[in-house]
Amino acid sequence: MYQFITGPLLWLSFAVLVVGLIVRTVIYIRGLNWQIDRVAYGAHMGLGLRGAIRSIIHWLVPFWSVGWRAKPLFTIIFFVFHIGLVVTPLFLIGHAVIIKERFGLGWPTIPMGLADALTIGVMCAVAFIVIRRIALPEVRIVTTLYDYLLLLISVAPFLTGFMTVHQAPGHQVWLYAHILSGELMLIAIPFTKLYHVVGFFLSRGQIGMDFGIKRDFKGNGFAW
Amino acid sequence: MPEGILCNKKTVDTKEYLDALLADRRGTKYYEEMKNLDVDKEKLKASLKATCKSRFRTWLELCSHCALCGDTCFLYLANKRDPTQVPSYKIQSTLGRIVKRNGDVDNAFMRYCMDVAWSKCTCCNRCGSFCPYGIDMGVMFGYLRGLCFSQGFVPWELKIGSGMHRIYRAQMDVTTEDWVETCKWMEDEQQDEWPGLTIPVDKEGADIMYTCNAREPKHYPADIAEAAILFHIAGENWTVPSEGWEQTSLSMFAGDWGACKMMVETVYAAIERLKPKRVLGTECGHAHRATVIEGPYWVGRKDGRPPVPYLHYTEWVAEALRTGKIKIDPAKRIKERVTLQDSCNYIRNYGLKDITREIMSYLVEPGYFVEMTPNKEHNFCCGGGGGFNGVGIYREQRNVGLKVKRDQILATGAKLVIAPCHNCWDAIRDLAEVNHMDIRWSFLKPLLIKMAIVPEHLKPKEE
Repeated sequence: MYQFITGPLLWLSFAVLVVGLIVRTVIYIRGLNWQIDRVAYGAHMGLGLRGAIRSIIHWLVPFWSVGWRAKPLFTIIFFVFHIGLVVTPLFLIGHAVIIKERFGLGWPTIPMGLADALTIGVMCAVAFIVIRRIALPEVRIVTTLYDYLLLLISVAPFLTGFMTVHQAPGHQVWLYAHILSGELMLIAIPFTKLYHVVGFFLSRGQIGMDFGIKRDFKGNGFAW
Repeated sequence: MPEGILCNKKTVDTKEYLDALLADRRGTKYYEEMKNLDVDKEKLKASLKATCKSRFRTWLELCSHCALCGDTCFLYLANKRDPTQVPSYKIQSTLGRIVKRNGDVDNAFMRYCMDVAWSKCTCCNRCGSFCPYGIDMGVMFGYLRGLCFSQGFVPWELKIGSGMHRIYRAQMDVTTEDWVETCKWMEDEQQDEWPGLTIPVDKEGADIMYTCNAREPKHYPADIAEAAILFHIAGENWTVPSEGWEQTSLSMFAGDWGACKMMVETVYAAIERLKPKRVLGTECGHAHRATVIEGPYWVGRKDGRPPVPYLHYTEWVAEALRTGKIKIDPAKRIKERVTLQDSCNYIRNYGLKDITREIMSYLVEPGYFVEMTPNKEHNFCCGGGGGFNGVGIYREQRNVGLKVKRDQILATGAKLVIAPCHNCWDAIRDLAEVNHMDIRWSFLKPLLIKMAIVPEHLKPKEE
């Protein structure tokens, strides 16, 4: 069982993730149309790329955009959530050991204390997001069950991973649950809103091109 | 009843149809017929297939329902944070649903879409600049308006407006003769005060071709005279085309893309015919958006630009002040607290924020200019954009929406609001009236004429 879920099933998950994201990226870019979108992508590539990069960076850095500054608490939670989601699995010692065993590759790691803090951060952030969804009428009205399902898919590997690392009773169950929920998340990414792992860059890049080429080429660039 | 006599899926291409619509006071019969108008689901499905591409589908799908866009929408704020005014809710419950159901929607739903598209969004695009994904709901509402229009679900005034464009190539029934006569009339009328002033019609190769808003010849001909006086003072070699002079586009507000294309083609044809070095539009926001920002795409110009440089009026004013073509009398500079309305269409959506501030630095004595909060590209819509000012059935919703701009203006403490945009000017006039406010509002032209130093050789000779 362990061999299967950390072997073929893991490979399959990664394959679905990578191929899925490539396919979606290609479909997105092929679906852009200068006349329908009313953005002359091809004619002003330089302006467009400059706009795209500005647009992405302003929103990738905490508090750099006017939007992030308008909602400080949300912004902090947002970045705690996303930094934890990306950094923890990539640089966890436990994961690096597997990479070393399987491929003999040295892999950078973060201290366990930090990994724990990030994991707890992710879980707290999810709790905050759930409460926010329930408590605020403007969020409640747009929230669907699907939104909670995505939060569950995202938080499950962290919760189970935390239990595994800290030797909770029923260790093997937690370990298997961790591996399977991690794989479920990888597979879900290309098929759900989690697609925003690349979709964010595509969408922000596109609106950046729109402003760079058409809507703010006269100014010093849009003050995101 | 599938199609009404007045309310149907046909575009208004004949004077008879237009007159019939105009005769229907307040659109009473029109809206009555709309209740029974069938939805052509196949046509809707085909439109989605042809025009709803990856950008919109991705926007609709990615939206993480965070509702950060709520506070960015002036209509949400003006309506006491009514959750149904959250932009993501508004677009997901309309266009989102049409896309999800692939066009399988009914009459009641389309009427709901019309209400949301024209009374809950002015396409000011502010929400798009605050969304982490950059989801621009204003752009999507523009698209939704197009879908609604193609199915016949469009406010009465805008059906008429787009018909005006189709028939007269102007938003009002101003014919070529009316226009040329108005120019001549304004020219004659100025001779006592401005001897030698001309309004040259159809002059080839001029430095500037001037285009305006049909309501200027129709209701405010003095505005044309003011433009002429300022060109006269600045010594510009300018002209107006006899055809292709109208720059606005109620068809853009209506979502009648066919009429939008006709309008822009008419203006661009005048450019080809008269070969001016540059074109200059009047103090209007949506006209600039229609003819300069979106227009090139409607007519299929791959570079997304008009055939020659096409300036907004503020760009010319800033240039004239900078180069000294128009000099301001320092004694006449504004010495009272004054604020400036940033028009969404050429500030947020065209980047002219610094140009307008440059103008203020010439017109206003230092220390008297007060910014609204927020301002520049993050300014709120005046409350009357996107056709909102002109639709009778949504007048009440429009008046509620004006509250945000009212509060912004009151917070500045200014008694004078400079609004270089027709729609903003109207909205500010209306909000002052509705709220009994003691403020004044002005375009740039009258202020400039009052303050400009008139060169000696242009002054009338003493008899």
